[in-house]
Amino acid sequence: MQYDALAGLRVLDLTRVVAGPYTTRFLGDFGAEVIKVQSKRTARGVESNPTSFFGAWNRNKRSITLNMDRTEARELFLGLVEVSDVVVENFAPRVMSNWNLDYTRLRSVNEKLIMLSMSGMGQSGPWKDYVAYGPTVQSLGGLTYLTSYSHDDPIGLGYAYADIISGMYGAVCVLGALQYRQQTGQGQYIDLSEYEAVCTAAGPALMDAFANQREILPTGNVDHDVPAAPYGCYRCLGVDRWCVVAVYDEDEWQAFCRVLGSPPWTEETRFSTLPNRQKHREELHSRVSQWMAHQSPDEAVEQLQKAGVRAGVVQNAEQLANDPQLVSNGFFDSIRHPVLGETIVDTYPINFSNHQKRPWKPAPLLGEANQYVFGEILGMTKAAIESYVRDGIIA
Amino acid sequence: MRSRRCIRVLLCGAQRSRRGGGKTEITSKPHGWLEGIVILDLADDRTDFCSRILADMGARVIKIERPGGSPSRRQGPCLDDTSSSTGSLSFLYNNVNKFSVTLNLEHPEAKPIFLQLLQRADVLVESFPPDYLKRLNLDYDSLSESYPRLIFVSTTGFGGRGPRSAYKTCDLIASAYGGQMYVSGSPEGPPLKAFGSQPYFSASLHAAMGIMLALRSRNRTEKGDHIDISLQASVTSTLEHVMVHYLSQGLIRRRQGSFHWNGEFAVLPCKDGFIHMSLFQQWETLIEWLDAEGMAHDLTNEEWLDDEYRRRNVCHIIEVLKQWTTEHTVHELFELAQLIRFPWAPVQSPSEVLECPQLSARNFFMKSRDPESGKTLKYPGAPYRASGEFDAPNMPAPLPGQHNQIIYNQELGISQEELKYLQGQNAI
Repeated sequence: MQYDALAGLRVLDLTRVVAGPYTTRFLGDFGAEVIKVQSKRTARGVESNPTSFFGAWNRNKRSITLNMDRTEARELFLGLVEVSDVVVENFAPRVMSNWNLDYTRLRSVNEKLIMLSMSGMGQSGPWKDYVAYGPTVQSLGGLTYLTSYSHDDPIGLGYAYADIISGMYGAVCVLGALQYRQQTGQGQYIDLSEYEAVCTAAGPALMDAFANQREILPTGNVDHDVPAAPYGCYRCLGVDRWCVVAVYDEDEWQAFCRVLGSPPWTEETRFSTLPNRQKHREELHSRVSQWMAHQSPDEAVEQLQKAGVRAGVVQNAEQLANDPQLVSNGFFDSIRHPVLGETIVDTYPINFSNHQKRPWKPAPLLGEANQYVFGEILGMTKAAIESYVRDGIIA
Repeated sequence: MRSRRCIRVLLCGAQRSRRGGGKTEITSKPHGWLEGIVILDLADDRTDFCSRILADMGARVIKIERPGGSPSRRQGPCLDDTSSSTGSLSFLYNNVNKFSVTLNLEHPEAKPIFLQLLQRADVLVESFPPDYLKRLNLDYDSLSESYPRLIFVSTTGFGGRGPRSAYKTCDLIASAYGGQMYVSGSPEGPPLKAFGSQPYFSASLHAAMGIMLALRSRNRTEKGDHIDISLQASVTSTLEHVMVHYLSQGLIRRRQGSFHWNGEFAVLPCKDGFIHMSLFQQWETLIEWLDAEGMAHDLTNEEWLDDEYRRRNVCHIIEVLKQWTTEHTVHELFELAQLIRFPWAPVQSPSEVLECPQLSARNFFMKSRDPESGKTLKYPGAPYRASGEFDAPNMPAPLPGQHNQIIYNQELGISQEELKYLQGQNAI
């Protein structure tokens, strides 16, 4: 039932690339009718329909084509706004107002509309027109600097985490505004900043820097705030195989030593208590590294977990795709795409007890819903649609 | 509902008057979209940011802590010079805008009070070890019959079922098993865990998404649900391209230092810091810029116009660019780059983020006074602005049991004598 939680909701989707499409995908995955507004001119690169990247972020959506540079196309768009619940866009802040399609205008045809604008910097402020991608805002928000082995060699995450967390915030915002609309009948405009979303992922570090007037330095996998030692990532047998271990209290330390076969060094005074182990964390790390270098990560982790010690395998994409844990949680699903064929997709880490998942639909081909949307929703005649197509408006 | 609103207004009003030094206004504006939704927060730092997100949206969140306070109040980093009961910055951050009551769930006399709280609640969020609430007969299966509208959220390391469901976890374990570490770090170094507690952060966001769906669904069905959030899968869900590349093309992506996965961004050193820059976008403009300063070397040659060639020889490009970037300050490059629409950015440290003019102009940071130390706290607010007219809450994270009187006495009607007795029993 949950997977149809959003049935009856119509979303107009003007977003591109990842952050915006993630938000609208989530709405579509759970039952909303998401109409992605594309155009022949812009459906290329990562926005090219029959590609796997596009497919990943645009499943369960419909696609129409509108050349928004044409007045008539914008009129059609307004017609759709009238009969929709939500509009989501992630253009540069000036685009929607240049088209005379800002919230005030959209609201004039649909008072109850919820409009979400997602942008790198937000819709206001001196940097509002700055160009930003995931890596840009991760750097601005401090995550790149902090995710490094050392402050003089910033590394960062290497992927657009910012796009996903912004997409998640976008989804929560739309659903929050919908809840409010349900109670009050009021629509809403929401201005979401991706830069700010990244900052919220580094909250305690920002508070630390302010309240304690401290320079926060990156420390790689060492975490001085976690009361655990050993704590870290260790190379194991095999090509690029690694595991992680975190030993918190005394019981866990004893169990850890037993798994290692209680070698004499574990009896040394410098490792006798947690504070001692933390003080000598580097020596401890190299001792553990020597042992791990001869272990298979899967076996070592299994033994450690059985003994009650927190341990984990550093998994790559192939291991994740075949991970019995993820598989048994129903994390993967399969979708049949008309061009790409059978594709396995990842779903969400959210499991409902009372849900029945309906089959998911593949990402749409460009303009596949033109007839449905313009004909059935807007009630245009076949001839009218054809003439708009000929004139390059539905295009 | 009405009295609850008044109490809240009183609390928030007092907060406001301290900040502004002005008069306390009693207003009837809602606190946000989720006005009227009541959430019981039994979670520790693994998901207590979830109800912070919803509290920022106006939900009324009551944190239920064991007497003496939640163990997550000890999680570092901490405020300097404060006692352990309020010093944890992650606690102070994750619990903004919440109320706190203390309740010993294991005490037999506490249970009826808990059930009374539950009577008024829409959502319960918890992150106990899998069997803990079951032992107390307070798990979803035990409660759902009497509270059919309840939305019950559990966060576990690996999800409620499957071969690893009993494994112990933490931030580091989830980052490894979830796949984040494998794709971050330098090729020759160990896999690198993302800074901060990102698995907890993304689990919190996922939990908020689940709650919002369940609320929406409940509007129609009048039925609640049990939502199970896996920390491991929360990490895997945020890997952006990683699973897509494997599932569609069989590509196993590896860590590659500061290079973005598509090779189009990298971090380069400047005179006074680092710039995160795109390498190939508007290539000709970039080379013109370098050339104008006599720093383009051979990059003006025709072979570099070919995208494939550039990608094959990116090390040389980096070498040339590095000589140029180290001649400049970060902000010289950043401002000029943005003028010509390059998506570049300074690699900012937390203290630089705090000073950022863009964030200041948007009043992004919230300020409050830590009730115990009196220190001023500055922390990220919500990353969005809404058009609705709301009386946005700004309460600092509560002290343990700060609202026992208001909630137990004024709202649940438990007498002062009884409260004293329960306190003596260590039930609250």
